Amino acid sequence: MKIAVLSGKGGTGKTTVATNMAFNFKGAVLVDADVEEPNSHIFIKPRVTGEKSVYKNFPLVDMDRCNLCGDCGRFCKYNAILPAKNKVLVFKEICHDCGGCEIVCKRNAISYEKREIGKIHSGKGLGDIEFIYGDLNVGEVSGVKIISELREMVSDNEVVIIDSPPGPSCATVEAVEGVDYAVVVSEPTPFGVSDMKMVVEMLENMKIPFGVVVNKAGLGNDEIYDYCSGKNIEILENIPFSEEIAKLYAVGEMMCLENSKYSHYFENIIGKISKTVK
Amino acid sequence: MIIGICAKETGLNSPVADRFGRAECYVLFDTETKEARTIENTAKNSASGAGGRAVRLLDENGVSVTLAPELGPKAMDAIKAFEISAYSYGESKTVKEALENYEAGKLEEFKTNSTESHHGLRRV
Amino acid sequence: MDINEIVVISGKGGTGKTTLVASLVPFLENPVIADCDVDAPDLNILFGETIRESKDFVGLKRAVINEDLCTKCGLCRQKCKFNAISEDIKVSFSKCEGCSVCEYICPTGAIKMKDCVVGQVFNSETEYGPMVHARLIPGEETSGKLVSEVRKTAKALAEKTGRETIIIDGSPGIACNVIASITGVKKTVIVIEPTFSGLHDLEKVHRLVQNFSVDIMIVINKCDLSEDGLNAIENYCKEQDLEIALKIPFNKDIVKSVSERKIPSLENKEFFDGIGFAKFVEWIKKTD
Repeated sequence: MKIAVLSGKGGTGKTTVATNMAFNFKGAVLVDADVEEPNSHIFIKPRVTGEKSVYKNFPLVDMDRCNLCGDCGRFCKYNAILPAKNKVLVFKEICHDCGGCEIVCKRNAISYEKREIGKIHSGKGLGDIEFIYGDLNVGEVSGVKIISELREMVSDNEVVIIDSPPGPSCATVEAVEGVDYAVVVSEPTPFGVSDMKMVVEMLENMKIPFGVVVNKAGLGNDEIYDYCSGKNIEILENIPFSEEIAKLYAVGEMMCLENSKYSHYFENIIGKISKTVK
Repeated sequence: MIIGICAKETGLNSPVADRFGRAECYVLFDTETKEARTIENTAKNSASGAGGRAVRLLDENGVSVTLAPELGPKAMDAIKAFEISAYSYGESKTVKEALENYEAGKLEEFKTNSTESHHGLRRV
Repeated sequence: MDINEIVVISGKGGTGKTTLVASLVPFLENPVIADCDVDAPDLNILFGETIRESKDFVGLKRAVINEDLCTKCGLCRQKCKFNAISEDIKVSFSKCEGCSVCEYICPTGAIKMKDCVVGQVFNSETEYGPMVHARLIPGEETSGKLVSEVRKTAKALAEKTGRETIIIDGSPGIACNVIASITGVKKTVIVIEPTFSGLHDLEKVHRLVQNFSVDIMIVINKCDLSEDGLNAIENYCKEQDLEIALKIPFNKDIVKSVSERKIPSLENKEFFDGIGFAKFVEWIKKTD
């Protein structure tokens, strides 16, 4: 079973829900796929035992073969390769690694070299949680490739909880594709509801069953409940606003580990999902 | 010699553009015939690398000198590789003013990058 | 005419950036409001906009397969590096990056790259002035191009109507869309929270902003959340010679105002007076 945890925007408590769910779900693997801002490891505090690089290719031009015909430059939609007067400029950081320049080159002058765009770390964290997370390098544009490699690292018969990127971006699509269930974490404010709607629309388009966790419940108003009941969306749990929880978050501590009275929220979420999926 | 000037609109009276690679258009001034024509900047809507592509466009139109507001590092690399000279039009407001200032020798040539590399900067 | 463009950004989402922008707007003279946080465009919630005009936003071209010509040979699927073509030879729009390799190699010419509308840009009217905002179709990537489009529309509007201030709700993070939010502005406000990642987020976004010649002000929201976190941020600001313009303690009344779709600075005047909001507004308005 694969469960994705997502949110309309950053700062709603997505990481809090994902890490505490993993902590309360025996044998679950936690995957932090929010590769631009991976934060789960701060709470999970893993002993990292494995590390691998994720690569992307960029073109290398053999100037003995190249006749500066310009075909590759005209083909490249990203302007990453630019034949000039007597050399070919390659801007590797904007190359999407589509393979087009090699295909259009009539003189077989193009080959590829790889460069690292990020890393995947794995290990065991607090509560013996099996944990893997991706981390995109400084200056890189897209973490989609790292997310897809993270997904390949978990098997289908494991219970996997995926901390997804925030918002309805294409990185989020990559992270949630093919999951059995999605948990949308939101806040009971007009902003929270508005931001959540776009993620809900995305999940509906992808035909993924989902439910909502209302975080910081009691702070705002009832709009989120009206919206969910209007759309027949299940509310999995209300996690009340509390200064203790906010302060634990601020210093990077998992709420369930600090105080077991919080565990029932996550046990409840897991129970409801297990009923829906199985 | 053809001089290409980054412009917001067509013709010599157009205000100069704020950006190089994503300028609306380029006014091409032929110093021999004293004629000017304007070409649309087909690079401006590129998802990335507009500067490099704009340099190629200027080269295809026979430009050997360009007057610009600033040049990013990729555009600068391309300017060098296409053997075009580039000058900053500084305080010039219109294309005509920029040309006059260039001809009077008042404009400074871009020597190093005027802006930091920023494209695709995601994690610093 | 020189336009005073001010952008409010943050290292990550959810730090109170939009709430701060909304609180500033009523104190500005004839501003144009630009919501460049296109992933979470929430300013309209507090300003109750009336949409006057909308235009389609076209993103990258995507591959479109003509079923009549397609022989299902599978070459496109084999060559696509983005796994955007399924086994039954259908294009997944959210995965297609528009490279056009499939169009090039298709032996029957069945694939054409076509413009795709991925969102809309709106011109709206609010009680406090015109607002430009945008919406993307879910699953589409926020691009610097869309942010630039919003800003260009806002600037044209300001020039046309003689307004001298543009206040921008910027994109969170440090991606291309943030760069597009900052390019060419006069002042940048960075909103940060004293959490475990607050200092780290501030360092990253500060390093980015340093590439531009802008005045910078720091706002620490929920400053009473963690004393250690606050100290770390204050020390960093001192080292880097950054001015802290505002420190806002956590206050449930602000959330309450937002929930009632009211503007926090107007609803909680005493609280805002107490934190020195008026001085901050003066700095925002200053044009020399």
